[in-house]
Amino acid sequence: MVNTLTKKRSYLSFVLPAFVIYMGIMVFPLVFSLGLSFTKWKGYGPMVFIGLQNYVKMFSDPVFHIALRNNILIVLISVFGQIPLGLLLAYMLHRQMVKGAKQFEMLIFLPITISSVIVAQLWNRVFSPIGILPTIVRQLTGNGEYVMKVFESKTYAFVPIMFVLLWQYTSLYMVIFLANLQRIPNSVLEAAQMEGAGEGTIFLRIVAPILAPVAFVNSILAISGSFKSFDLVYSMTGGGPAHYTDVMALYMYNTTFVFQNYGYGSAISIVIILFIVAAIMLTRAVTKKFNQD
Amino acid sequence: MNERSRLRKAPLGWRASAYIIMVAFAVLTIFPLIWLGYSSLKPNAEIVKYPLALPRSPSFDNYTRAWTMGGLGISLQNSLIYTCVATVSTVFLALGAAFGLAKFPFKSAAFFTWAFTVGLMLTVHAVIIPLFILEVHAGLINTRIGVILPYIAFDLPISVLIALSFVKGIPDAIIESAEIDGAKYRQIFWSLIVPLSAPVIATMAILSFLQHWNEFFFVFIFTTKAALKSLPVAITQFAGRQNIEYGLQYASLVIGILPMIVFYVFFHAQLTKGFGEGALKE
Repeated sequence: MVNTLTKKRSYLSFVLPAFVIYMGIMVFPLVFSLGLSFTKWKGYGPMVFIGLQNYVKMFSDPVFHIALRNNILIVLISVFGQIPLGLLLAYMLHRQMVKGAKQFEMLIFLPITISSVIVAQLWNRVFSPIGILPTIVRQLTGNGEYVMKVFESKTYAFVPIMFVLLWQYTSLYMVIFLANLQRIPNSVLEAAQMEGAGEGTIFLRIVAPILAPVAFVNSILAISGSFKSFDLVYSMTGGGPAHYTDVMALYMYNTTFVFQNYGYGSAISIVIILFIVAAIMLTRAVTKKFNQD
Repeated sequence: MNERSRLRKAPLGWRASAYIIMVAFAVLTIFPLIWLGYSSLKPNAEIVKYPLALPRSPSFDNYTRAWTMGGLGISLQNSLIYTCVATVSTVFLALGAAFGLAKFPFKSAAFFTWAFTVGLMLTVHAVIIPLFILEVHAGLINTRIGVILPYIAFDLPISVLIALSFVKGIPDAIIESAEIDGAKYRQIFWSLIVPLSAPVIATMAILSFLQHWNEFFFVFIFTTKAALKSLPVAITQFAGRQNIEYGLQYASLVIGILPMIVFYVFFHAQLTKGFGEGALKE
């Protein structure tokens, strides 16, 4: 081939611009981050190598424990809340169980377009003493003093955040499942009905298994997304009060950019990545086992 | 409707529950937005005294004040610049890469594809610290390019994979015949691949636009000047500062939400398609 070299040159001219930007901004810093995580550094001045001390510190750091717990709660609400609920909504729309299914779909999908930080501010207003919820409760119960106290509870402060996550992202899974439901031939459902299968049986025994691979891919997205949570929590509570609603990314941000502990911050960010990779591998292993049985 | 006529309707119990769930979801979605909308037209005293009531004499006073006090005009302009530049760059970089990876017979394509796939797992927060240090040293902090570059980079992996699955489906014969006619690859890309990829360009552009418009973290970390803030950052900080001026908070939030509702009304079909197809890959 005479023109292999020209061809190779053209090939690289198409691939490399994207690849270089991607590597330079996403992959190269990751290596740098790993290096920083073994040091004690204030962002300026001397950088001291301290080995694994940052990682060891995490084990006994109560704030890190709360943050990790809250991240796990987000994983749970995503995988066991948003995804099943999204599937159920999609199935109901697909089977046209309501009139105006298209309009319902359009309304329910709307929050996906609004920035999380603004969604958080919106719900803060809804929950505030002069917001929708406390006002309605006051009118229904006649208790003129009612305000929401849940934000001050160590155990339950995270619940409103989980609710807002459910509110914003369930429809994303609904839309994904809906697109996939439309690829199941009607004859499959018809055959099941002929054999006398009820709606519940069709949903659980026929539709859900067909969509299991889709649910799996979505779980990966949901889990890795869960460990990334920052915007919504930062805007809604800032991690407070007293770290009750902290999540790992937010703790990393505060540690690094507010308290200038770059080494410890980097170690937390590496742990975030490790959790994402571990969660994805675990999901993969479980699904493999599940498919074999 | 015809094709599903042989399918029996769902039983009453299911339909009744479906109505309850759908209506509940729809009300939860729409009511807070409507409430925010009409409350933003009320003066502060009215908001505090009658939180749920409609405005007695609607006024845009809160809007004009929030707009000037929050510097939202400049933020809107920044958001448009960041989003448009990043979206156009992402789309064409990704499409170019996809063309190279799908239509050239080199072994390294498998490696590049794998590398982009790994990128789906990386998060902003894992690299933000070194990226911040790099930007400080490169003098990119508090510059537009320092914001736009990471916007592009973090959107590339998913965009490349979306483009790749489309470009693979373009028949090789079309490209081969252009090669025989002596066309350069650059010409083939712009005059064949780009027009043929119009549907996937639309999908990528809309998803990319949404992602960049709502981006918060990079502007938040990499800029300190008010003149460089994007709309989500400016509004969050402004609304957070107005402790007692509820009308200003509400108005600024509506300014943040309204453009996206308009965007949604126009591109709803493509958004549904884009997100729906996103998971069809595997």
